[in-house]
Amino acid sequence: MSAVATDIQRLREELRDRGATVKTTELPPAERVARVKEVFARRLDGNMATYLETCLHCGMCAEVCHFYEATGEGKYTPIYKVEPLRRFYRRELAPMGWLRKLVMRDITPADLDEWQKLVYDACTQCARCDMICPMGIQISPMIAVMREAIAEAGMQPAENKALAKEVLEKGTLMGVGPEDYRRVAADLAAQGIVVPLDKPKARVVMLMSAMDAMLFTSAIAATAKIMNRLGLDWTFRTNAGDAAVFDWTSGDERAKAAALRKIVAETVDAGASTLIVPECGHGYAAVRWDGANVVGAELPFEVLSISEFVGREIEAGRLKVKPLPAGKSVTYHDPCKIGRWSGVFEEPRSALKALGVEIREMESHAKTNYCCGGGAGLVLNERANKLRAGAFHIKMREADATGAGSVVTACGHCRMTFIAGAQHANWQKPIESLVELVAANLA
Amino acid sequence: MTLLEFARGPGMQWALVIFLVGVAWRLVGTFLIARRRDLSKPKGTAYVKAGARSMIMRSIPPHELEKNIQFQHLTGYAWHLGFFATLLLFGPHVPFFQQFLGFGWPTLPNIVVLVIAGFTLAILIALVVRRIIHPVMRQISTLDDWIAVFLVIIPLVTGFLSYAHIGVMGVRYETLLGLHILSIEALLVWFPFSKLMHLFFTFPSRYQIGVSMERKGVKA
Repeated sequence: MSAVATDIQRLREELRDRGATVKTTELPPAERVARVKEVFARRLDGNMATYLETCLHCGMCAEVCHFYEATGEGKYTPIYKVEPLRRFYRRELAPMGWLRKLVMRDITPADLDEWQKLVYDACTQCARCDMICPMGIQISPMIAVMREAIAEAGMQPAENKALAKEVLEKGTLMGVGPEDYRRVAADLAAQGIVVPLDKPKARVVMLMSAMDAMLFTSAIAATAKIMNRLGLDWTFRTNAGDAAVFDWTSGDERAKAAALRKIVAETVDAGASTLIVPECGHGYAAVRWDGANVVGAELPFEVLSISEFVGREIEAGRLKVKPLPAGKSVTYHDPCKIGRWSGVFEEPRSALKALGVEIREMESHAKTNYCCGGGAGLVLNERANKLRAGAFHIKMREADATGAGSVVTACGHCRMTFIAGAQHANWQKPIESLVELVAANLA
Repeated sequence: MTLLEFARGPGMQWALVIFLVGVAWRLVGTFLIARRRDLSKPKGTAYVKAGARSMIMRSIPPHELEKNIQFQHLTGYAWHLGFFATLLLFGPHVPFFQQFLGFGWPTLPNIVVLVIAGFTLAILIALVVRRIIHPVMRQISTLDDWIAVFLVIIPLVTGFLSYAHIGVMGVRYETLLGLHILSIEALLVWFPFSKLMHLFFTFPSRYQIGVSMERKGVKA
């Protein structure tokens, strides 16, 4: 087993153990249902109402979901995963609700037990289903509401509870906090890589990811090299916390909001005009799309993902790279939250083109890309091992069909899933980080 | 009052009232629900163009998505076209519309429409069978799905019986025609309460996702 794969397995086990020891009060069944409904009532809006009115039960969304494809089980149909939300809407909010209440049963505690598994273990919020629906129904935001409701009822997986508790009480993730970021920076400084930490003012604030600090310090080193080469006035803010905003995936809105407020406050305090999120899909989508909504005002800075930033700098001619030796071919895996959730498709490919590699696209790429199977926290969820492996098999098949020499991606979460999945399937395809590939070939 | 007279008179009037009031109630009630204000900075702002694009492009999904749904996709198109062709282009139907609208339009030869209606009926029956045996369809089907497909099939069946003057157990032609018209009225009455409302919701929903994804910089 590779060292990183061993570390990932250790993380999963550690997280499972933390989950087993987390102390929470179990709510009475009726209270759980009430809390779920309270979240539904708060989150449902006109857009979701239109979507829920429109669904035909055609089942097409299942045919593009990797979990249905891998298992053939109807319960993994994406729209079915939001059934309690639909039930609530149709009974209690819809214009015909008064009539439907007569014939449609209410949500039960047993429903919550069933859907807890469907939304936490069998959905990566990859949003591929959003791309096929002939009615134009956007399912992924409704999955987020489902997760939030289940979390509010105290029914999210124990591992997620443990992480949310840690974020709220200690401000660290998996025990990683400012001290660890300082240690990583010191290690890199010893290698001659300057990592400016906690500058009071800087034009650019860069976030650090706890996962990178634990597993991929090479990505942090690569980021620092690129920023230094560009001669930017930049800094890492150690108090900004983890870039992954893991609670965006866990559904714990309070923990997510706390993490986002800290990131926004640190960036504003630095007077930065740009905030760059490292190779982390969830972190980017969370800050980019939820940051302003959490603080209740437009953000006074631009939010970019590192792959977006690097691609733009290369396109603008400010960052020069050396072409790699001829004959190297890669396939690019679009992280769902950076691609389909956030529209970053061209910039990473621009960077790869500048490196002179041959890009061999998978049949499903860019907006129709298959998720790696580990998104939305599934990579660390042991209950999802079998489903994740099935989804990863689909990804492997598409990547193999390209004949490319390696898979390049721009998300640590995806990278973890690929490394662990490859280990499990004995797949030999090298997995590369875009930012590391660029940093290793700066002109 | 005979069954046919009821169907042509008060039956049709009440069915239309329920249809129109119900559709308006459901559309207005849904569109009045407030939209959440999104404070994040959009990546794209060509909302009308993006919404219009999605309204069209959702009918033509990319190959890698469409390859798994070809059967549903093609049969879906086929039976909708067949149903509306039968409804609107069948010779005996046009005078019915003419009395409401005051004008008529050219029709297809009866034999052509009968063949189209036959194909439409066959596809609908195949889709019912699929809904029964397919794991996804079994999982997600609700009572509304069964009622809706039944109410779409029945006008086709009673239409065939009426046209062919096939008496079932001595039932007269006028009664069959009355039942045919009543089956359409049942469809109209059920319409506002059911998934048949997708006729009105599909394009607003497609527009919405186009706008939502435009904000994120994705053509959807």
